[in-house]
Amino acid sequence: MTFNFSKLQPWLTLMARLVLGGVLLVAGLLKAINPQKSAMAVRAYELLPVSVANFLGYVLPWIEIGVGALLILGTALKINAAIGGFTMFVFIIAIGQAWARGLSIDCGCFGGGGAVDPGKTKYIEEILRDFALMLTAIYLYRFPKGRFGLDK
Amino acid sequence: MSSNSNSDKGTRNLVIGMVAFIVLIGVIFSFVSNKSSSTAKVPAAVSSADGYGIVLNANATPKIDIFIDYQCPICKNFEIINGGYIAELAANAKAKVVIHPMTFIGAESILAANAAACAADEGKFLDMNIALFQNQSATENSGLWTGDYMKRLGNSIGLKSKSFEKCVTDGTYVDWTKNVAQASAAANVNSTPTVKINDKELDRNTEYMDPVKFRAALAAAGVK
Repeated sequence: MTFNFSKLQPWLTLMARLVLGGVLLVAGLLKAINPQKSAMAVRAYELLPVSVANFLGYVLPWIEIGVGALLILGTALKINAAIGGFTMFVFIIAIGQAWARGLSIDCGCFGGGGAVDPGKTKYIEEILRDFALMLTAIYLYRFPKGRFGLDK
Repeated sequence: MSSNSNSDKGTRNLVIGMVAFIVLIGVIFSFVSNKSSSTAKVPAAVSSADGYGIVLNANATPKIDIFIDYQCPICKNFEIINGGYIAELAANAKAKVVIHPMTFIGAESILAANAAACAADEGKFLDMNIALFQNQSATENSGLWTGDYMKRLGNSIGLKSKSFEKCVTDGTYVDWTKNVAQASAAANVNSTPTVKINDKELDRNTEYMDPVKFRAALAAAGVK
C-alpha cells in the first residue's frame, strides 16, 4: 500500500489540482462576468454588512480565478491549496447558516444566486460538494508535489 | 523547491506575478465598470433620494418601491397579477410609486431599462413598462431585444417622437442604470421582484403573487 501510494501520489496531486483549480476557475469566471449578480448572491446570505457583502461580491470571483489558475499551473501550491480549502470551509459555514436560519437562497457558487422558492434550495448538495473540494484542498496541502507542475 | 535553478524560480515568479496582475486588473475593471456616477444623465422622473427609481406621484403617500429586472420571469408574473392595480394607484395618485429597473440579468435588461426611462421622459413610462413585460423573451439575453426592437415597441404604444428614438439609439440612460443598480445594492435588494411599502418589505412568500393579499397589504399601509 505504501509503495503503491508513493507512485500514485504525484498523479493524485495532479488530479486534485485540476479538480479544485478547475472548479475555482470556472466558478470565478461565471461570477466575474456579472459582478452585480455576484454581489447580490453574497447579500442574499444575510451574513455580512451590505457594503462588505457588495465588496466581496466584486472581489471574490477574481480571487477564485487567481487561485484556480495557479493551482492548475501548479505553483505556490501549499498557499493556494490553503486559500482554496479555507474558502470552501467558509462557503460551508455560510450555506449551513442560511439553511439553519431558514433562508431560501441559491448558493450562487457558479453565478446565479439570490432568493429562490423555498422548495428549490439545494443545501445538502452544495455542502457535500464544497466538503469534497475542501478534502481535495487538504490533500493538496499535505502532498503538494505532483506531475506537470511549474514547481519541481 | 530547494532544487530550483534560478531560471525556474524566475519563471515561477513571473507566472505568479502575471496571475496576480490579471486578478488586480479584473477587480479594478469590475468596480470601475459598475460604478455609479453622479454625472450620469437621469430621466426627469428620477431622484437620487428615491434610489434613482422612476417616481410616479412624488407627493402622494404611502410610498411603494418596486425593484424589477425586465428580463426576470417572476417580475413578469408579478406584473400580470398586480400591474393593473399598481397602474390604477399611480393614475389616481393614491400612492407614490417608485419603479427601480435593475439590470443584473445582463445587456438586454440595460436596453430595456434605458428604453423605459426614455418613455418616462415622454410621459409613457407605465405603458412601456407593461409592453416590455408583455414582450419578454423566454430566455435571458436571447438577442430578441435590440435598439430597433425597443423603438418598434415604443412605436406600438404611441411613442413616435424623434426624441424617444434618439434616446433609445444613444442609450442616453445607460449610465443611469448603474446608479439604479448601486442604489438597489446598497438598499440590500437581493432578488426581483422586491416590493417595499414605506421602506418595509412585503412578505415574499405570501403577499407578492396573491392579488387579494397584495391589496390587503397595501390597504394596511394606508392605500385607500
